[in-house]
Amino acid sequence: MSEQGNPGFQPLSITIECAHLKSPSSFLKPNPYVELVIDDKAPRKTEVVKCTIQPKWNEEFTVLVTPHSLLHYRVLDHCSFRKDSVLGEKRLCLYDILHMCNGRCEYLEITLDLYRGSPADSQNVAAVKVGELITLMHGLRIDLSSANTPSAIQPSIPTSSRIPDPRNSGSGGLSNGETGGIRGGLNGVRFRVRPHGNGNNVSNGTVQSQIRQGAGPVSHSHQMLHADLSTLAARAAAAVAAASQMSQDQAQALPPSHHHANGVQSSEHPAEGESSASPSTSGTALANGIVNPGAVASNVEMEPRVPSSTATVVEEPLPAGWEMRYDVYGRRYYVDHNTRSTSWERPQPLPAGWEIRRDQRGRIYYVDHNTRTTTWQRPSTERLQHYQHWQGERAHVMSQGNQRFLYPQHPTTPHPDLSSIAEEEDSLGPLPEGWEKRLGPEGRPYFCNHKNRVTQWEDPRTQGEELGADELPLPPGWEIRLTEDHVRYFVDHNKKTTTFQDPRPGAPKGMPVGAYGVPRAYERSFRWKISQFRYLCQNNAIPSHIKISVSRQTLFDESYQQIMRFPAYELRKRLYIIFRGEEGLDYGGVSREWFFMLSHEVLNPMYCLFEYANKSNYSLQINPASYVNPDHLLYFKFIGRFIAMALYHGRFIYSGFTMPFYKRMLNKQLTMKDIESIDPEFYNSLVWIRDNNIDECGLELYFSVDFEVLGQVMHHELKENGDKVRVCEENKEEYVRLMTEWRMTRGIEDQTNYFLQGFDEVVPLVWLKYFDERELELMLCGMQEVDVDDWQRNTIYRHYTRSSKQVVWFWQFVRQTDNEKRARLLQFVTGTCRVPVGGFAELMGSNGPQRFCIEKVGKDTWLPRSHTCFNRLDLPPYKSYEQLVEKLIYAIEETEGFGQE
Amino acid sequence: MFKELGDIRASGLKAFRDVQVDESNLLLWHGVIVPDNPPYNKGAFRIEINFPAEYPFKPPKIHFRTKIYHPNIDEKGQVCLPIISAENWKPATKTDQVIQALVALVNDPEPEHPLRADLAEEYIKDRKKFVKNAEEFTKKHSERRPPE
Repeated sequence: MSEQGNPGFQPLSITIECAHLKSPSSFLKPNPYVELVIDDKAPRKTEVVKCTIQPKWNEEFTVLVTPHSLLHYRVLDHCSFRKDSVLGEKRLCLYDILHMCNGRCEYLEITLDLYRGSPADSQNVAAVKVGELITLMHGLRIDLSSANTPSAIQPSIPTSSRIPDPRNSGSGGLSNGETGGIRGGLNGVRFRVRPHGNGNNVSNGTVQSQIRQGAGPVSHSHQMLHADLSTLAARAAAAVAAASQMSQDQAQALPPSHHHANGVQSSEHPAEGESSASPSTSGTALANGIVNPGAVASNVEMEPRVPSSTATVVEEPLPAGWEMRYDVYGRRYYVDHNTRSTSWERPQPLPAGWEIRRDQRGRIYYVDHNTRTTTWQRPSTERLQHYQHWQGERAHVMSQGNQRFLYPQHPTTPHPDLSSIAEEEDSLGPLPEGWEKRLGPEGRPYFCNHKNRVTQWEDPRTQGEELGADELPLPPGWEIRLTEDHVRYFVDHNKKTTTFQDPRPGAPKGMPVGAYGVPRAYERSFRWKISQFRYLCQNNAIPSHIKISVSRQTLFDESYQQIMRFPAYELRKRLYIIFRGEEGLDYGGVSREWFFMLSHEVLNPMYCLFEYANKSNYSLQINPASYVNPDHLLYFKFIGRFIAMALYHGRFIYSGFTMPFYKRMLNKQLTMKDIESIDPEFYNSLVWIRDNNIDECGLELYFSVDFEVLGQVMHHELKENGDKVRVCEENKEEYVRLMTEWRMTRGIEDQTNYFLQGFDEVVPLVWLKYFDERELELMLCGMQEVDVDDWQRNTIYRHYTRSSKQVVWFWQFVRQTDNEKRARLLQFVTGTCRVPVGGFAELMGSNGPQRFCIEKVGKDTWLPRSHTCFNRLDLPPYKSYEQLVEKLIYAIEETEGFGQE
Repeated sequence: MFKELGDIRASGLKAFRDVQVDESNLLLWHGVIVPDNPPYNKGAFRIEINFPAEYPFKPPKIHFRTKIYHPNIDEKGQVCLPIISAENWKPATKTDQVIQALVALVNDPEPEHPLRADLAEEYIKDRKKFVKNAEEFTKKHSERRPPE
């Protein structure tokens, strides 16, 4: 439990209990309260106790300390009409205390002499003692050998009076650990280990775990008295494991009498404390890792094959409030007294700096003192890894904020100066009639068509000119026009007819074609769709603005409060975001940052609202266990509103959702294929069932299914009486369909509905009808410059080589094409348009790192295919560059997973 | 699951015995592997089979509860068994097939796919030393073999 070698902050519980102040010189009694400042950080204050010189506060603070923290206690007199005055104060160096008690601050009662007169240094002879303050420190264990004494802060006690370190002093030294009552040379500070627990030696195995919890040790001890012997053995085993940092001889049992012998008598506590010192300090002794012999013996009986000398199987101690028991078959299971539940799986201890707590309604939650945050879900190594991954993105988030874009792109100069715009303008000639060029709030130009009141980002003069200038001239009497949907058609004035068919010789017959010869019908103009969406937004804009004022520290909470307070439609007003304490007008930059930061924050895996799809897919999906957060549905509604706001206001969010989630937003049917990206194992099994004769292999399946959330198995019937309907060849198609449906919605229906509801209130979901899921991702996350060199460097080939002509053509295409197509190509092969934080070298597949791979597959009549789990592109050996480009574009622009395998 | 358990109990596998399942938690099985081949034929090894809730869509997991000196089983009791790996898993795979594969692996280590590279190297380079170490380790740590 001690955080060896961890130089960072650790939680320490400090209870300010009471003070005895000298009678005041005036006849008015003070209104005392205590202010505790640690390392010049923000003070922690107790309540004011009115009109007394014997104030009792009993307030507990959990503070973060280092072994060298300076604690400054000040007792102040609260006064409503003038400045509060200092009654007395005391400074304390934590290291001095730790030094005296061998690094163990557990139930350590500290009595401080309070002095008045600046600088209130205890060494200052002139200072006047004005009273005493009694506090309790608890829950800190430091390995002093790793906490080096900085030269600046020498312990103010002579080394001779230091308690010998048990690690150095050999056997018998251990029991000294609890004899913290030696006064040493600390002026004006006395301390002793306070008796706690019930003094019963047998039960002391539990103390180890209570210590972390820091609450209600007595009740736990009582519980223990009723526990059976094998439990005690188990607990003792845990205690042994906890003490594994101690050397072997110390971990051996000491006779109980020994504890008593050393426990209290050595405490040189001043008179007023002595009377309360009961002989039951053995609790502390056990807390320090001593196990009574009986327990050890029974432990050995239980696990005869696990000698303690081989440390590999000795497991870590159980977390606070957990207990190991054996059932009638002698199998181990674990009881969680905190949540009154049992589990077969051994719980992982809470990580360093974490604490379990209960709120007023009795619900369990977890406090992370390292980050000063709380969460409803018990932290596990995996969750912490996810959290760290999430946190590690922060720097990236900041740097990405200004790098995302949609259309039009100005890759080198995001805000081109006016002269270059003017130049561009000249070369293009005047705008068509009825059009006007305007500047957006960020100085970004857009185009306004006054005829039909449409605005768009793209310049009408360059629109639809993908074919380039080297086209053949039209036959005489022909004209090119664009339909309302910007599809090109041809007018033959000679015959007064129109056609989509290009009349020029050499033009491909059949459907009209766009750039690279891809039929127009398949080439979606993303730009046009965006402009349609923007048009809807603009038409439904609400005048004036709303102000959202937040601080960076409480970004999530404050944003939640304010966004949910407004009527949803008002969120379409112009946004005016203020980061408190930071001056600056929001002309877009601040709100861009707000969207980006908050999007990262709401997707914090510790909030339990979203989770990464799986270990290779860092897109987010709703966490089926989100119900551990009692207000989760409201949060999902909030996030729905927020995401809608991002789309409405044209801002980007940092990381996106899974493709199936976007499809759900678009109300699209989810297919079996969609499972692959979020749960490849499940998908493979489903495919196997679909493709094999299940009657022959005796697969015993019914129309029902189980899944587990937080250790709880939920049972679900896929249809009425599904438990009794066996799956066979005839009905398996239905089974696969129902399974797919269930897999994609299990445990997240309510959350999804609240999200969609929140979204729909701000931006009607039907407005998204133009887009497919990949475009929705691009809209929400924006595009980023893709480093093609990095991409190419980190690509591997199968059945091709670096110099195969198809490979050369592929990279030629990637370099020549625009950002949208690059992003789409990435989406097609890797499942997302986003590049990993560390570049292409960190691309992950379903079995760990998996580089971008191009494999030679099939014939040149085939379309390219992709395997998003393996980041693999199956590229047939095309015969020409043009053919490769045509097939590739066709494949990446196809929506319905047609080219994906 | 009931059926599979019944099958396994009925099949009377010599190399896998004492199968125990808590009626309230069918997803956790316990049993003892009793290998035939030296150096493991002097002992027995307790294992745990954990079935995920989504079984048979997801494969079961196997853990050794008794320590064993084996190139394919690590110090934590984890074992790398291809038949239950994510890539190879098929929902039609039966638990007795899994157990047979496990018993075969215990009897005949596969040093080409080691979990413990040090033991695999010893196995390949100095078989005598490996056998001696493994026998000693088995004697020290393994369970008593159940009567025939």
